[in-house]
Amino acid sequence: MSDENKNVNQNGEEQYSLNDDRRVKVLSPGAMVAKRFFRNRLAVTGMVILIIMFIFSFIGGLVSPYREDEVFYRRDYINKEYVGVTENTEYRYLELTEEYGAVQQAMTVLAIQQDKPTIEAKGKTYDVVKEGEGLYSIKDGDTAIGAAYLDIVSAEDSSVKFTPDFQYQALLAYIGGGGAFTVDGEEYEADELGMITKGGESYAVCSRYIVQSKTSGTVISNEFREALIEHLATGEEAFTFTDPEGETAEYTLVYDPATKIWSVKQEVSTQVFDTYSFPSKTHWLGTDRNGMDMLTRLMYGGRISLMVGFIVVIISTVLGVVLGGVAGYFGGWIDNLVMRIVDIFYCIPSTPVIIILGAAMDGMRVEPKIRIFYLMLILGVLGWPGTARMVRGQILSLREQEFMTATEACGIRVSRRIFRHLIPNVIPQLIVISTMSLGSTIITESTLSFLGLGVKFPYASWGNIINDVSNSFVLTNYWFIWIPAGVCLMLTVLAFNFVGDGLRDAFDPRMKR
Amino acid sequence: MGVNKGIADGVGRAHGASTPEELKYQTEKREERLKKGLQPAGGTGTAPVMASSDPNEPLVYDPQYILMVKNLKKYFPIKGGMMSHVVGQVKAVDGVTFNLKRGTTMGLVGESGCGKTTTGRTILRLSGEKTGGQVLFNGQEVYDLSPKEMRSMRTKMQIIFQDPFSSLSPRLPVGEIIGEAVREHNLVQKSEFNAYIDQVMDNCGLQPFHKDRYPHEFSGGQRQRICIARALALNPEFVVCDEPVSALDVSIQAQIINLLKELQEKYSLTYLFISHDLSVVEHISDTVGVMYLGNLVEYGATEDIFRNPLHPYTKALFSAIPIPDPKAKMNRIVLEGSIPSPANPPSGCKFHTRCKYCTERCKKEAPVQREVEPGHYVVCHLFDK
Repeated sequence: MSDENKNVNQNGEEQYSLNDDRRVKVLSPGAMVAKRFFRNRLAVTGMVILIIMFIFSFIGGLVSPYREDEVFYRRDYINKEYVGVTENTEYRYLELTEEYGAVQQAMTVLAIQQDKPTIEAKGKTYDVVKEGEGLYSIKDGDTAIGAAYLDIVSAEDSSVKFTPDFQYQALLAYIGGGGAFTVDGEEYEADELGMITKGGESYAVCSRYIVQSKTSGTVISNEFREALIEHLATGEEAFTFTDPEGETAEYTLVYDPATKIWSVKQEVSTQVFDTYSFPSKTHWLGTDRNGMDMLTRLMYGGRISLMVGFIVVIISTVLGVVLGGVAGYFGGWIDNLVMRIVDIFYCIPSTPVIIILGAAMDGMRVEPKIRIFYLMLILGVLGWPGTARMVRGQILSLREQEFMTATEACGIRVSRRIFRHLIPNVIPQLIVISTMSLGSTIITESTLSFLGLGVKFPYASWGNIINDVSNSFVLTNYWFIWIPAGVCLMLTVLAFNFVGDGLRDAFDPRMKR
Repeated sequence: MGVNKGIADGVGRAHGASTPEELKYQTEKREERLKKGLQPAGGTGTAPVMASSDPNEPLVYDPQYILMVKNLKKYFPIKGGMMSHVVGQVKAVDGVTFNLKRGTTMGLVGESGCGKTTTGRTILRLSGEKTGGQVLFNGQEVYDLSPKEMRSMRTKMQIIFQDPFSSLSPRLPVGEIIGEAVREHNLVQKSEFNAYIDQVMDNCGLQPFHKDRYPHEFSGGQRQRICIARALALNPEFVVCDEPVSALDVSIQAQIINLLKELQEKYSLTYLFISHDLSVVEHISDTVGVMYLGNLVEYGATEDIFRNPLHPYTKALFSAIPIPDPKAKMNRIVLEGSIPSPANPPSGCKFHTRCKYCTERCKKEAPVQREVEPGHYVVCHLFDK
């Protein structure tokens, strides 16, 4: 009983193992290729990297809040020389009448130095009256003919000249500790700090300090001068001043004892390009030399790098397959002609040609956008001979295979013979050579862009992103400029090679299931 | 005929009908031939009638023959020199003449490089243009057809290749390989296509689920079955079997040979069976042609040829057939030297350099085909009357 069962089992097993239909699921050719491909771990890794790169480049650009060439700014504080302040220690003279000439002035100097109450000039005697600290009046009797002063009356606008009379009256009022005075029927008010107002508005300042603007075109307001003088008087070294427009700035006072000049420095905040800013919340990978968002440019750069790679490979593959296929299938003089053209193309030193063409495009001022297309065309046209040679060789050997004779014996059309029997047998090699050349094309494009001959600003490509690293300072300090682009480039090329290898293995039916 | 008998001596011992098994076998063969409507060999009938030996006279179509070949020549140019001009010619097929009756099998034997395969391919117009001669298939000159006509003609004449590994497109599933030409020529309706392919595969001993497999998943014997199925799917009348079993091991050879025989009976196919394996040829063929250096040196019914080989070359060739008996003494005729180059064949009779009966005449004058026995032709000066 048990023996019989065994037999049945054995028979059953035998049948089962013979009937492959049930034992092995039959897969369509495409599914087989896919299955073999996905079994290859390295190829899948490459595939995943590529998918990520594609999403990053093509969708990332849409998601990114910034434009490819959007420039960012930041506010920066600049300490610039604003005004210079000197204390006036030399007496100056007011000629209230013509009588007070150069002789009288010279005498006045002596009188003040020697503390004489009178001066004599041209036979006349004048009284030197000390009105207060830094102001002497020279009087002929009751009438003041002139004055010597240390405090200077100046207007906000340095071009405004005050009459000697006004100056004298103002100084008198200031020295006297403030008060109202009248000149030519106009009422003025002077306070103890030397501010002279007319009808409540700032009109002039009396001060021993001379304030000079260090930058041309800057008007030093009376308010600022007042504040400055106030702080000079108290000896503070820094102060904040808000001007009538609402701009607040920090000022610092620096005294140079050699020249006896206080230089006032203003800390101004200005808008500058946000260059080489480190990664932050707003710019995840920082900004580049031009103040553009690094991450966004990386996305757009990937888009261009991948697109250039693909289009170049498509151009060179189509050219290579058509020309190589024609040469291989028809042979004879056509083969000879095509192969000689291939030889010629092999002799062309491609790097110098590309560099020369790049320079020529520079010379013709080709628009950056059109330049990308020219670049694709040039690289594509220079890239086909390898593919053509490979396809031709393959087809030449396949053509002589017996299965090709069999197709002829079966009366199958030439087109079908080429596309159904020859091309599928070339596809694995074609895919490998294409994926490998995708990688190398991206490298070539990056090299050209790096050299400034490929994709041009404002368009980004991984190559011209790395181009920002023009000196070792950037290389060592701003890693975020070149590491991400370099890593992207390396990963993409690596992934293309992995996928190419994986596809080749998957397409090869001689590989075990 | 005295000379004739003398020469025949050596082979006669090996292949004369001396044992009861062989007698039985010969009787079977004879019956088989009668079934196919052929005259018994060696008899008075005119079994395979040769065309007129005058090479310039055009062939006249005789409807009993599916294939008439006359003075067929195929030379391959040898290119050399700086400008790769033609410096010589390889005379692979140099004047082959035979007729092939419908529903029969003709064996074509000869040593390697004698032009058997080229003959087969030239008949099918597979190696470019012929150099000369005529190939009438069903009365139609094959080389006169336009490419379009040729394509439809292809369904009638098929070929099975020697190497089942290189003759199948590696990237197509088996079903596609077999069915491609059927679809190309619209031989069956689309709705019946799958059933038809299954039927053809079944006839050739293949399972329907093999359709989705690729050639590399099959063994040699199965691959050869696929090749046969591909050829037969087109429903041909004539099949060139170009050493179809030489790449296979003996047990599989028998399977394939029997399959070919079965299919021949079923579809009344005509075979041109090219082989260097004489026992296989003896088993399957009705008529046999022996080739030497591009020429058909002897041609006749299988029994006639095997029983009474006439041409010195045929004798030498047949003496090499091993006898499955360790005690039997083999009288091998060992040929001196090697086969001359087909690019520079000897003058006169091409075999004269290696023939032990060589005369002065052989060196100068090329022999013509002679009918020594009814339906048994030989090309040799020894048989000049």
